[in-house]
Order: sequence, then C-alpha cells, then structure tokens
Amino acid sequence: MSLPALALPGQLLGHTDKYLPGPGTHIHEQQIYASIAGPVLSSPSPSRSAQTTSNASTKSKLVPLLSISRPPNTTSDPGILGTGSGGGAPILPEVDSVVLARITRLGPRFATCEILVINSTVCREAFQGQIRREDIRATEKDKIKIEESFRVGDLVRGTVISLGDQSNYYVATDRNEFGVVMARSEEGRLMYPVSWREFRDPVTGRGESRKAAKPF
Amino acid sequence: MNTDRRRNNAPAGGTTAPVFARTIREPGYLQSLRPSRSRGLNELRRIFLQTSIIPSASGSAYLEIPSSSAPVTLTLIPPTSSLKITASVQGPKPLPRSAPFSPSLLLTTTVKFAPFATRNRRGYIRDTTERDLGVHLETALRGVIIGERWPKSGVEVVVTILEGDEDGWWGDSGSEGSASGSGWGLLNVLAGCITVVSAAITDAGIDCVDVVTGGVAAIARTSDSGNSKVVARLLDPCPAEHKEIVAACAVAYLASRDEITEIWMKGDCGQDTDALTEGATHSAVGSLAVVKEVLLEALQAKFQGQLEASEGSLKRKVGDVDMTG
Repeated sequence: MSLPALALPGQLLGHTDKYLPGPGTHIHEQQIYASIAGPVLSSPSPSRSAQTTSNASTKSKLVPLLSISRPPNTTSDPGILGTGSGGGAPILPEVDSVVLARITRLGPRFATCEILVINSTVCREAFQGQIRREDIRATEKDKIKIEESFRVGDLVRGTVISLGDQSNYYVATDRNEFGVVMARSEEGRLMYPVSWREFRDPVTGRGESRKAAKPF
Repeated sequence: MNTDRRRNNAPAGGTTAPVFARTIREPGYLQSLRPSRSRGLNELRRIFLQTSIIPSASGSAYLEIPSSSAPVTLTLIPPTSSLKITASVQGPKPLPRSAPFSPSLLLTTTVKFAPFATRNRRGYIRDTTERDLGVHLETALRGVIIGERWPKSGVEVVVTILEGDEDGWWGDSGSEGSASGSGWGLLNVLAGCITVVSAAITDAGIDCVDVVTGGVAAIARTSDSGNSKVVARLLDPCPAEHKEIVAACAVAYLASRDEITEIWMKGDCGQDTDALTEGATHSAVGSLAVVKEVLLEALQAKFQGQLEASEGSLKRKVGDVDMTG
C-alpha cells in the first residue's frame, strides 16, 4: 500500500509491522492511523537504529518511522494584532525541551519564570515555570543563592526537567550552556558575560553576579 | 425570574412574522406559501464549509446550509430558515492558575445562539437550551480528541450560531402549535455544530482519532391525500418543509471506525430506533464527504511550499539518477 501525500485524522496509513508510529499518528487495532491533518513523512529514523538493532531478532529489517508534520513554523508572523493573537504555534513544553524564559519573580527557594520559546518555536502564550534553587547549577548546590544567579527580567535558557505541579513547569539551568543569556544592569544597560558567574556593564564596568550561559 | 438586567432586552414574546391582510382574507393563501421538500428523501441539503476564517484563533470554521426551497416571489418572508454556524478553537493553552493538575486536555465547549439567530429573539446570556447543546457537543468531541497528547492544557471551543434551523414552518406557529416548541431544529443545529467544530479542531491541529461529523434523520408524516397518513423516513430534515415530524435523531459519527460518540433522539420512533440511527449515520457520512474535501483543499494551500519543496527534491533525485545512468 502506498502512502498518501496528505492525510486527515482517522486515515489508515499502514500496519505496525511495516512502519513505526511517529508524531501525529496513533495505533488502533495494530494499524497506524493519522491523528492530525498534514503531509505524511516516512523516514528511516537513524536515531532509532540502535533500538531497532537490539530487537533485530524479531524484526528482520529496519522499519521506517511514519509521522505527520505540523504546519510550518510561523515565528516570523506575529499575528494580526501582535504576539498572542494568532502568531506562534500550539506547542507545549515537554521534558528535555530547551526553552527560553524570562524571570518574573525571585523567591527564597525558587525563581519563577515565564517560558516564551520552546525548541526555537515561539509559543502562543507564555507558560508558567519555576527554577528551583538546587536546579540552577550542578556543583556546590548547597551554596547557590537565588539572588546571585538571576534577577527579574533576565532571559534564561534552560531545559524542562518535569511537567511539574498544577501551575508550574520545572526548568533547570544545571549545564554550562544553560543560564542567563540576556541581562540588564541596575542602570538598565544590556550587559555582557565575562565568566560563568558574572555579567559586566559596558559603561560603568561594574560586575553583577549571574549564572551565565556559555556563549555558543 | 432569571432575566438579564444589564441590557435593553427585546420583548419577552419575541418578534413574529408580519401578518398581511391577504392571509386573513383568503384562507388558502397562507397554505399556498408552505414550502415542501423538493429534494429526495435520501438527499442532503448543500453544505458550505470554510476553515481558518478567524486569524486570532488556532482553528476556526464556518458552516452554512442554505435553504433548499425555491424562494417565493409572493412574499418577503423566506420559506425556510438556513443554518449558519461559526466555530473557533482557542488553544491548547496553559490552564489557569487555580485549576488542578490535569494529565490530559481539558475541553470546554460554549454554544451560543446569536440574539438574532432565530425567529424568537434570544437573550445575551446562555439559556438552558444552549447549555444543553454545549454538553451534547462536548460528549461528541470527548470520544474523538486524543487528550493525553496535551497534558496540563485546555482547549476552548466557542460556537456561535448565526442562524438556527427553526422548529417548524412560520405559518404554523400561531395556529396549530404542533411543530413549534418541539425542538426539531435543535437536532439540525447540533449536527451542524459537530461538523463545523470537527473541521475547526482539525484546523487547529489537535490530535483526533477520526474526523467526526454530525447527521440527522427523521420520520415524518405526510398527509397529502386527505386522512391517509404516510410515514416516511428521510435524511437531513428541514423542519419547515414537513407538516409533522414524528421522531428525529442526531448522531456524531466516526466513519472510518464506525463508532457513534453522541446520539440524541426525540419523539416517538416506535420499533424503528436502529433504522433511524442508521439513517442519521448515513447523513453524517454525507457531510463527511464535504468536510474531507474542504480540509484537503485547505491543507494543500497551507502546505503548498513544503509539498513543492519535497517534490522538487524528488525531481532532483530523479535527475541525478538520469545523469549517472
């Protein structure tokens, strides 16, 4: 059976023996069906090759991964009335997704942030997130101080470690490439990072402590 | 009394169709205006559907089922009403702070008649009929949406009925009262809501098991030849075209799975429940054809660039093969 170019929800795509179900599909009675509308992609998924070789005894050859792609990313289109009015994609934070967030509040045990970008896709609406004190960096966790790591208004790159409780996603910045990417000094000037724990104001030369992200 | 005190409300009795002197002078004249079903018993009314009409919503659709009766030149009153529904889908978006944790998608459906949607003016606040329709619609959608794919988020489905099917012919409303108040039009409205929301949800890209569509079937009594009453089973009834509807049934039907997620039956259908339900599913399959066509058309427009790019790469590959060969 050949694959259709475009599929609608509920359309039969193939048997589970021949394909692996990917994003945008679901299995019903050992058959793979489409669950969103879009073009059907079939890829021999190299990332899964290790997994498939492990059960190569049951499956003689690599089965291609079937997925349905969502509409192309509309980050350049902010919507007719600015952000939050139709621009952005309906996307949710998942565990391990890399996010950009803005710090909104500092507490004694955690910093609250709003997640604005998920995996380089601009969200339709900001998601409430939380960076706990012990998730800010990986070493010397007992000596971390929130106010020496973030300030309100900082832009932070981090990763989602848990879907969290009822209102917050849990974000961690405990790797070198995660941390503050954009910060303003007390005078409101954009600062540049000088070390993993310091940002500096370009005019006054005064340093402020932050958990800085390693620049690419 | 639960009334809307914040706005200038229309008279409680609503507005009625104007009565012309001729209808009183000539008793037969009013009956000559009565519309009759011109299409076959298994024939649906034509459906107009369009998706992505509201740019700020993540998915939206508009459905119109125009009146199938020929327009009458004798009077300005249209013979039957038409059905006009818009649906918009907001989300999936994060839940409000107060909401408890939910591992799957929270669905909220709001159905509202526009104040001018029916011959009797509607209020601005949702009444019991509208809330009832909302619950029916939610049941229909629950069985289709794969909620586990969207944890901790909510979707709002907002349906506005711009013109609703009426419960009977306007000429009958004063005299007999058999057709009015029985709510036959609501079944058509529900089926229309299901169809249009299904299109809007697919437009929003929310994971679904299938494309659900609504359909209506009815048993009507036709009393053309004097007293002998013939009972006819028909699809997609337009209540104004039938003097007496005995029973009607609306379903939400998943065609490729052969499942029904919502069923609403009214009236006295006797032994014929299964046949009536099956008729409604046939009607749903009819509207599915329209929905599929419209969705595919919209998809092609949306993914044109991507499809062309993939075709281009294919062509290039073919070209490469030609060159090496």
